[in-house]
Amino acid sequence: MSDVATSPALLSARSLSRDFTTRAAGRFWNAKRVTHAVEDVSLDLYQGRVTAIVGESGSGKSVLARMLARIVTPTSGQLVFDGTTIEPHHKRGLDYAAQVQLVLQDPFASINPIHPIRHCLERPLLIHGATKDDVAALAGAALTRVALDPPERFLDRYPHELSGGQLQRVSIARALCVRPKVLLADEPISMLDVSVRLGILNLLKGLCVSEQLAILYITHDIASARYLADEVIVMYAGQIVERSFGTSLVDEPAHPYTQLLVASVPDPEALDEARVVGQHEKLEVATVGCRFAPRCPHAMEVCRTTSPPNVELAPGHVSRCWLHTREAHASLRVNARRVDEGGDI
Amino acid sequence: MSALERSDESPQVDALAAPVGPAEKEAPSPFVLDVHDFSVDYGVGTQMVTAVRDVNFSLQRSKVLGVAGESGSGKSTLVYAITRLLRAPGVIRSGSAILRVALPDGHGVEEFDLVQADERTLRRVRWSHVSVVLQSALNALNPVLRIRREFDEVLKTHRASMTKTQRRERSVELLRMVGLSEDRLDRFPHELSGGQRQRVMIALALALDPDLVIMDEPTTALDVVTQREIINELNDLRSRFGFAMIFITHDLSLLVELADDIVVMYAGAIVERASALELYDAPRHPYTLGLLNSFPPLHGARQELTGIPGSPPDLAQLPAGCSFSTRCPFVMERCRRESPTLISLDDDHRQVACWLHEPGASATVPVELSQRRRAATSDSDLATAESK
Ligand SMILES: Nc1ncnc2c1ncn2[C@@H]1O[C@H](COP(=O)(O)OP(=O)(O)OP(=O)(O)O)[C@@H](O)[C@H]1O
Ligand SMILES: Nc1ncnc2c1ncn2[C@@H]1O[C@H](COP(=O)(O)OP(=O)(O)O)[C@@H](O)[C@H]1O
Ligand code: SF4
Ligand code: SF4
Ligand SMILES: [Mg+2]
Ligand SMILES: [Mg+2]
Repeated sequence: MSDVATSPALLSARSLSRDFTTRAAGRFWNAKRVTHAVEDVSLDLYQGRVTAIVGESGSGKSVLARMLARIVTPTSGQLVFDGTTIEPHHKRGLDYAAQVQLVLQDPFASINPIHPIRHCLERPLLIHGATKDDVAALAGAALTRVALDPPERFLDRYPHELSGGQLQRVSIARALCVRPKVLLADEPISMLDVSVRLGILNLLKGLCVSEQLAILYITHDIASARYLADEVIVMYAGQIVERSFGTSLVDEPAHPYTQLLVASVPDPEALDEARVVGQHEKLEVATVGCRFAPRCPHAMEVCRTTSPPNVELAPGHVSRCWLHTREAHASLRVNARRVDEGGDI
Repeated sequence: MSALERSDESPQVDALAAPVGPAEKEAPSPFVLDVHDFSVDYGVGTQMVTAVRDVNFSLQRSKVLGVAGESGSGKSTLVYAITRLLRAPGVIRSGSAILRVALPDGHGVEEFDLVQADERTLRRVRWSHVSVVLQSALNALNPVLRIRREFDEVLKTHRASMTKTQRRERSVELLRMVGLSEDRLDRFPHELSGGQRQRVMIALALALDPDLVIMDEPTTALDVVTQREIINELNDLRSRFGFAMIFITHDLSLLVELADDIVVMYAGAIVERASALELYDAPRHPYTLGLLNSFPPLHGARQELTGIPGSPPDLAQLPAGCSFSTRCPFVMERCRRESPTLISLDDDHRQVACWLHEPGASATVPVELSQRRRAATSDSDLATAESK
C-alpha cells in the first residue's frame, strides 16, 4: 500500500462540476434555483488502488460517480481516461461503459424486477460481446465471485425472491462480469449485512490487487473506508474538504466536518462520551465562504465571506479550512472579542 | 402547544416504574407487543421454506427492541408478518401477535391480535398505532407526487379535523425533525437523494404519534451524521411520547447504543436475547460473537478481518442439528445432530440457543463466550481478526 503512485492515473477527474437547476418552491413565480451538486472536484484513480469517497447524503458523491461513469454530463471539467482527455460533450462509447463500471446504491432500484437473475447478468455480457454459449458459465462464475454459492440456486430466481443483501451481491456480480478496469462502487455495501460486507470489502480489495482494478469506493461508513482504502477523500456539499492517505484521515481528522463524521460513528467503546452533533435546523449550505460554516462549531468571520484554502498539513494530507492558516488565528481573536462584546457574529 | 404533543395523555413514564394506575382494577400489561410461537413460511408443498421459526418475544411500552442478524435471517419477514404487510407467497403458519394500545382517555388498553385482525381493524391500527418504515423505503414514495402530498394523504385520512394550514405546519415540523428543510415538501421524490427520501419516510412514520414504530434498517442507507441525528431525535421523541420501537439493523454497534434489548436471529430463529450492554460485553452465542467481530474498527492498526466464514444457509436445506453448525468455530459432535432450543441462562434473564451453554453440559464454554468481552478485548486477542 504505497502512498505514492508509481504508474500514471488510469482515470482522473479534472475540476469536474455539475449544476442542477430546479424550480424554486413558492413565492417567486418562475424562480429558478441552481444546486451545485459537485464543484471543482479533481481526483485520480490508479490501477491496483482503492480511493474512498466519504460524505453525507446529498454531498454529491453519486453525481460524481455518475460523471466518472459518463452517465451524467459535467457542467464543466474534463475526464482523463488512460491518457485520453474527454470533454463533457464527447459521446460515451460502449468501450468506455465496459471499462468503467458503476455499482449502484439501491439494489431494489437498480435491478429489473421482471426478469430472473440470469437475465440481468447475461444481458451485459451479450451487449459487451460474449457469445451465447459462454454467457451461462460466465454468469454463474460472476455469482460465485460474490459468494452467491452455488449459482444454480440463484440464477433462475426473481429479484423479489432474494433478500436485499443477496440482491446487492447480484448487482456487484453484474458489474464484475464484463471485466472492467475501473469499478465505481456507489455505497455497494450500505444495504448488506455485516458478514457479507466484510466479504465484499475483502473481495474488492482482492480484485484491486489481483486484477489491478482501479476502485472508487463511495460510502458513508468512514470505518469501512479506513479499512479498505489507500486514499480517503471527504466531500461536503459538492466539494472536497479533506483527503489523506492510509488511516491518517480517520485517525487524525483535521477538518471540522471530518471530525464531526468520526464522532458520529456508533462506537460502543465510547458509549458514555457526549455525542455532539450539528444542529440539523442549520442544514442549509452556505453559498459564500465555507459551505460548512452554518454548521461549523469553529466558524469565524472569514469563513462566512471567503472560501477557505486547501492547506497541506502533511504530505498528501490536505484540508480545506481557515483554521489551518495564520490568518485564522487573527480572525479567531477578532471573533472572540466580538462574542465578549455581545456583538453579532 | 406543539402539534407533536399529545393533547389526550400526559407523557408516559416508564410503565414498569409505575405499574398500577389508580383507576385500574388490574395492572395494565406493560407489554405493547407480545409475539408468541410465531412462524412464517414462503410457498407451499415441496417449495415451502420456513423463514421465521417459533419466534417468541415481548416488547414493553416505551422500550426499544433491536433485531440483528445477517441478510436472509428473517428479520424483515418477521416484522412484515407481524404487521400483516407480508405478501404472497408468504404465509403466517402459526402464532399470535398481540398489540396493546393505550385508550385515549387513559383507562386501560385495547388489545388486537394482529394475526387474526381483519382489513378494517388493520386500517385503523396502521399509522395510528403501529407504523412501519420499510427496508425498500427508497422506492416507497410515489414518484409523481410531491412530498407534501404524501403527508397530506396520511394526515387527511387519520386526522380529519386538521385544516390545510395545520397539515402544512405539521408536515414542516415532521420534516425538521428528521433534518430536512421546509422546501423539500414541494419536491418530487426523484429530486431528493436516497438519504433524503429515507428521512421523509421516517417523518411519515412518526406523523400520527404511534404506540409502536417498526423500523427495518431505516438508517442503513444514511450517512453517520444523519444517522446520529435521527437516533438522538428518536431517543428524544421516545422519552417525550413513550412509543415503543422495534429497530432492525445488522449494525450491532448502533443497536448497543439505541436498544434496551437485542435479539439476534439466525436462519429464522432467535439464537440469543439479552440486554444491549450484556450482549455487547459478553456475547454468549458464537454467532453473536462473529457479528460483533465483523465491523472494521475505528481505531487501531489495520488488519484483515474475516468476520463470519461462509454464507447464511439455504432455508430449503438447513443443516441437521444447530443451523449455525456449518459455520461455527466451536461446533461439537452433538451440534450436527440435535438442534438447541432457546434456554434462559440462570445468572440473568438472557436467553441463548447453543449447546455450549446447556446447564450441566460437559462442554467447556470457550473463554470468548464466558467472559466479559470488553475486559477480554483489551488484550485484543479475541477478535477473529488475523494480522496481515
Ligand atoms: N417472496 C419470496 N419467496 C421465496 N423466498 C423468499 C421471499 N422473500 C424472502 N425470501 C427468503 O426468505 C429469507 C428471509 O428474507 P428476509 O428478506 O426476511 O431477510 P432479511 O433478514 O431481511 O435480509 P436483508 O437484511 O438482506 O433484507 C431469505 O432467504 C429470502 O431469500
Ligand atoms: N436530477 C436532479 N435534479 C435536481 N437535483 C438533484 C438531482 N440529482 C441530484 N440532485 C441534488 O444533488 C445533490 C447531491 O445528490 P447525490 O449525488 O444524489 O447525493 P449522495 O451523496 O447522497 O449520493 C443533492 O442536493 C440532490 O438533491
Ligand atoms: S473554514 Fe471555517 S467554517 Fe469552514 S470548516 Fe473551517 S473553521 Fe469551519
Ligand atoms: S450449538 Fe454448537 S454449532 Fe450451534 S452455535 Fe452452539 S456450539 Fe456452535
Ligand atoms: Mg448517493
Ligand atoms: Mg430485510
